[in-house]
Parts: sequence; C-alpha cells; structure tokens
Amino acid sequence: MSRRVMIVGCGRLGATIADALLERGDEVVVLDTDAENFRRLRPRPRLRMIVADGASHEALRRAGVESVSAFVAATGLDTINAMAAQSAQTTFRIPSVVCRVNDQARRRMYEEFGLKTISSTDYLAGLAVEALDA
Amino acid sequence: MYVIVVGAGKIGFYLTRALLAADHEVTLIERDPRVSENAVEEFGSIVITSDGTEPSVLKDAGGERADILISTTGRDSTNLVACQVAKWSFATQRTVAVVTDPDHVPLFKQLGVDVTISTTDLILSHVEEEISGGPLVHLLPLRSDMGVVSIRLPHGSPAIDCEISRLDLPPLTLITAVVTHDGELRPGDSGLTLAEDDEIIAITPPEQERSLWQALTGGV
Repeated sequence: MSRRVMIVGCGRLGATIADALLERGDEVVVLDTDAENFRRLRPRPRLRMIVADGASHEALRRAGVESVSAFVAATGLDTINAMAAQSAQTTFRIPSVVCRVNDQARRRMYEEFGLKTISSTDYLAGLAVEALDA
Repeated sequence: MYVIVVGAGKIGFYLTRALLAADHEVTLIERDPRVSENAVEEFGSIVITSDGTEPSVLKDAGGERADILISTTGRDSTNLVACQVAKWSFATQRTVAVVTDPDHVPLFKQLGVDVTISTTDLILSHVEEEISGGPLVHLLPLRSDMGVVSIRLPHGSPAIDCEISRLDLPPLTLITAVVTHDGELRPGDSGLTLAEDDEIIAITPPEQERSLWQALTGGV
C-alpha cells in the first residue's frame, strides 16, 4: 500500500530512506535546510524536495505535514530530530513517527515517551560486536 | 537555590549574573567555546563548555540536586531537549525554556516543560497594552491547564464600579485577590467593587485568558 511520508534531513541516511520508500512506491516529501543536500536524490514525480527547517511548526505545516501518514526525523542532530518528531507526533498527530537519536540515554527517554527511535550508533556497535565474534 | 542555566548567550549570561548577585548557586553550560570564553572570564569555574542537552553533561553539572533548570539558547529544539532530559533523568522540579517561536509554546507545555518564556509574546503583551486595555501578565503556571494571571483595569474598563459577583467571567476562572489602585491587597470577595487601575489576580485556564481579559477590560 503506497503512502505519503515526510522525511526531515537529506543527509546520507535521509536520502537513502527516501530512495527505499520511493522504490516501494511511496510518495515522499524531504525537508532540509541546505538545498545542496538534495543533490543526493534524483528528481522523480513522487518526490518533493523542500528547503525548510523541520524543527519549525510553521515550516512543517507549509510543507504539508498535515497530509502525510508517516514521518521520519533523520538529521544528524538529536535535538532537531526530537523537536521535529515530537511536533509530528503530538502537534500534528501523525500516526507513524520515527526519530533518529544518537545518544543512548536520550534514546531510552524518547522510547519511553512513545517515539519509535533508530540509532546508527547502537546499530553499528551491534554489528561490530557480531563481526568480532564471527 | 541551585540553578543550572543552559546557554551563555545574552539571556543566559545576564541571567547568571543576576542569579549570582541574588546569592543563588549557578552552573552555566555553553556548547560553543567562542561564546563560553566570555562567560568563563566573567564567572570562572561555574561555566562548563559542553552540550547541555546531553544527560551525562547535566549529571556532571550536578543535575540530581538542581532545583531548577533554565534553558536560554536561541534554538527552541535545544531548549526543549535540555528541559526534557532534566525532567526525565533527574526529576528536576522546575524546568524553564525560552521559546523563540510562540507557535511552539503549546507543544512545550504538552511535553512537560513547566514554564515557557516567549520573548515575542512578552513584547507583544506590552504593545497590546498601548493599543487597548491593560496587559495580561502571566504570573505563575500552576499546572499545564491552569495559571495565575494579573490584569490591570485601564480607564473605561466595563469592570470598573462593578461588583466581582456581577462580572461575566469565563468558566473555571476565579478572581483570587485584588491589589487596589492605592496599593491595598484585598481578597477577591464577590462583594468587592472594582475601580480603575485595580490589579486583578485570577486563576484561569490558558484558553480562557483572552475572554477573561475581554470581560475585565472590554478590549478586543
């Protein structure tokens, strides 16, 4: 089932998520404060790229946050991601919200607050330990 | 009291100075070394050059025994996370956040920040004073759904010469006290008659503030 997803942050992670979702047939809106970062993505009909600050309600609203059913905060900054994801969840009531959090203690906190979190640090550390044991 | 201040920009810097002058214990946390340099010069060893949104940094700053954390940076996201971390990790009694975009105030309150200070709203309330009626001043948030406000009755207010019982107050609103125009403190009894320049102290839910202000001052 195709859906409309908003992604905040078009770094390597945000762009890769966008590609994967587009591949699946989803519609994607990507926000980044730096237009340079959009060079990571190839323009396609179901992709919108908007220069905007995902930590601002006004900017999210203008980018159409109210019309998406899923939201990913994927910048490299925990604080921006936390603000964007909690806005999506609490203010705009997006049903599915994922937040990238690098700091472990904060990750536990946001999990407790009901956010789905992802952490490249935890993930890669797990892979490293697995690789050592293999 | 022991106060942790996050952000050594203009607000954090002068706030720290004022808190120290009032004999409070303060730790000031600033991430940017170029900004903190100035603060170290002025305040010495109470300045930590690090990220005040990191739980480990707040722990090193004595987060467990802090009575209050005030986050004053220019970034709403930083201020939100610093307050959330303090609340969650150390159950800090009072967390205060400066909020640059007034649009974000409801979110901060919903997420458990005790006090939000919107400089835009503060300045606006003074502008509104010039335009019509007296300002509504937020004295104290009691809970997320209730706060103490003060409204001074300007010339021509409909509430002047009116008994408190005859005012058309919004729901869940209580006038608790009145500081009269000649400086006397009176309980907000229903039979008290109001006069010009009286300051009305009331408890009201945030969404009723405007109706309360209109009922008292007649302003729009």
